[in-house]
Amino acid sequence: MNPAAFALTGAAQQGHDVAQVPVGVTLLFTALLMAMILCLALEEKLHAKKSVIVGLFAVVTLLLGAAFDLLPFGSVLVGGHEIDLPVYVPAIDWNVIAIILGSSLFVDVTSRSGLFTWIAITLTKTSGGDPLKLLVYYGVMTVVFSAVLNNVTAMIIVGSLTGVSLNRLARSNLLLGFLITEALLTNVGGLLTLISSVPNIIVGTAAGISFIRFFVVAGPFVLVATLVTLWLGARVFNIRRLVTPEEREQAARLVAGFDERDGIESQAFFWFGTAMLIAFIAVIATTSVLPLIQDLGMGYVAITFGVIMLLRFKAIADKFYQAIDWDLLGFFAALFVVINVMEHALVLELIGEGLAHVIGLGDTLGAGLIVVLGATVSSVTDNIPLAAMLAKILTAHPVIGSDPDSPFWWAVVFGANLGGNLTPIGSASTLVAVTIIHKYELNLSFVGFVKRALPFAVVQILLAVAYIVLFV
Amino acid sequence: MTRVDQFESAFRAADKPVFEFLQPMVERALVVTDLRGADATAFRNRVRDFLAVLGNGVQWDLDDGDSFTTIEALLERVNMRNPDLICTYRSLHSEAWRWPYSLGEYLDVLTQVAPCPVLVFPHPRADRTNGHTLQSTDIVMAITTHLAGDNSLVNNAAGFTNNGGTLWLAHVEDEKSFSRLMDTISKIDAIDTDTSRERILAQMLREPSDYIRSCKEVIASHRPSVHVEKIVTVGGRLVEFRRLIDKYTVDLLVMYTKDADQSAMHGLAYPLAIELREIPLLLL
Repeated sequence: MNPAAFALTGAAQQGHDVAQVPVGVTLLFTALLMAMILCLALEEKLHAKKSVIVGLFAVVTLLLGAAFDLLPFGSVLVGGHEIDLPVYVPAIDWNVIAIILGSSLFVDVTSRSGLFTWIAITLTKTSGGDPLKLLVYYGVMTVVFSAVLNNVTAMIIVGSLTGVSLNRLARSNLLLGFLITEALLTNVGGLLTLISSVPNIIVGTAAGISFIRFFVVAGPFVLVATLVTLWLGARVFNIRRLVTPEEREQAARLVAGFDERDGIESQAFFWFGTAMLIAFIAVIATTSVLPLIQDLGMGYVAITFGVIMLLRFKAIADKFYQAIDWDLLGFFAALFVVINVMEHALVLELIGEGLAHVIGLGDTLGAGLIVVLGATVSSVTDNIPLAAMLAKILTAHPVIGSDPDSPFWWAVVFGANLGGNLTPIGSASTLVAVTIIHKYELNLSFVGFVKRALPFAVVQILLAVAYIVLFV
Repeated sequence: MTRVDQFESAFRAADKPVFEFLQPMVERALVVTDLRGADATAFRNRVRDFLAVLGNGVQWDLDDGDSFTTIEALLERVNMRNPDLICTYRSLHSEAWRWPYSLGEYLDVLTQVAPCPVLVFPHPRADRTNGHTLQSTDIVMAITTHLAGDNSLVNNAAGFTNNGGTLWLAHVEDEKSFSRLMDTISKIDAIDTDTSRERILAQMLREPSDYIRSCKEVIASHRPSVHVEKIVTVGGRLVEFRRLIDKYTVDLLVMYTKDADQSAMHGLAYPLAIELREIPLLLL
């Protein structure tokens, strides 16, 4: 592949003269992008929410973009109609925002049916309180919840249950191992479907990968990675089966006190929630082939299901609006704006040129290298800007951009997701796990997490490289 | 991170104490009285008849008024006999039983030192029984302010309930404490007062209700002839317990008196033990 042939056309496509952007301006915006990524990496130290950090960079880059005459002001064409919109409105990928907003609303309301707690407690009781069985059940549950809901919600549900159940079983000494293994599995489960994580949504949407295709490609890897992670978790953290009948009897008696029906306020709503969850997955999975729905997109599906679920709580819907993670949505919206300005400032083209050399190494070495590089970068900063940036760059690539089966898309997806397992700040779900760990007053530093997670993450990344090179 | 707490709360609420049945073993019972001779023996026989539920296998020892005149002597005899149950009454070797202000020095010490439950009968010379027959343990009530998970209290109460009798499990949340808590919450702007009032009260009453349901199921499988009934309510504890005892003409009241943090009877037990002088009290 000729690296020179790989050039972004985004700005030019929007009628902007690429040649008019001086190199100094591009470098200035590159520095701003680096600064934003650094600030996101230091989010905890800065005591600032992501939306505020990226929001600040969005307003600054927009102002500078206007000052350097980089932005395509004027009306935009929507369905053949010219509409006047602020320049930052079309910069946002509203489909992604709608998917996240609708999904979180849907999951939040559905959780009120008691369905998720029912599943979690039923599995706990089925394990009979045996630590190894619990690890396997919770691990599989983490992967499935991460895939169906999202990795943060999965970690919250499984992590909080783990704390309560191990405490009940008087096995708090295993809590650290359980939580770390579960945290590492959230990012594995986050690979399973197109809507399991934000990088999947961004990259999958940009590449034009269907939900089914995504599942078929990612599924086998997720299965193998889950089994390997659980096996490693049991060995590293010394989680074993109960040996004597007395131990098993006592453990079974302790978990028998859990009432799986406790969270079910209405039997009818429980079954409605179950049916709606199945329907949600089915419709999302078939969005690309359903008449009418395929034009409206997954964002519409997510919002629709969220609204239908809200009918049950129509009088107190505002309480669910309050519970929405506005920081996350604000972060995404601002991020899309920043990335859009960076595109006009030719920063993405600059990065794309560097990336072209990696892509030029071919489908095997190039894709493998992108997994490793993507994972490394994702481990120290948010994987969403990385995914958004790389998706934009790959979309502009003359070959990859039109080939949804290219291994490079998968390299970005796998790298961005699995990189989150290298450090506690690598993904939102590992951060949730660390928060729960600290809540239980377990001593775990940043380095401590890295030391424990590194063998798992390295194995997962190597598996991903091998999988992409050999099977994708 | 609010949702971590929300899910933890949901799972903690779902983690309910399950009742485990354990029949209390009473092989040796010691009757302590300040009566002497035939009166003492008659008292012991009355006690034995009242506790027919314990069966014929119990060895009934008697320490009458001549066998002790000091607390030290009484404790020595208790240690020597090593009973599973002590049966006695208030104000031993004293006329203070006429006034409802103390248990008497012997019983004060005995309730805290004895390694076994103490069954306190109405004083033999008192004639106030408010309609209670003192004949049998057909209606037994276990009272507490924290019933959920209290297997020992329920097992003891069930063990002393006659076949065909009724066991009332009563949990009363203190209205004053709840009001004080809500008053504090109403001054904190970050906590919604109305929701808190509704949810806290519901959860407070739900836990003992769930536990009593578990007790009913388990006791039904071990002692099917005993009927278990539920009382879970909010009120002034002393007033409410007294009302319930009168309403259901309770034959035997069962309650805890020991407190791990102090050497005196715990807060509620003492006034109850002093004021409820008309019926036998099983003090654990």
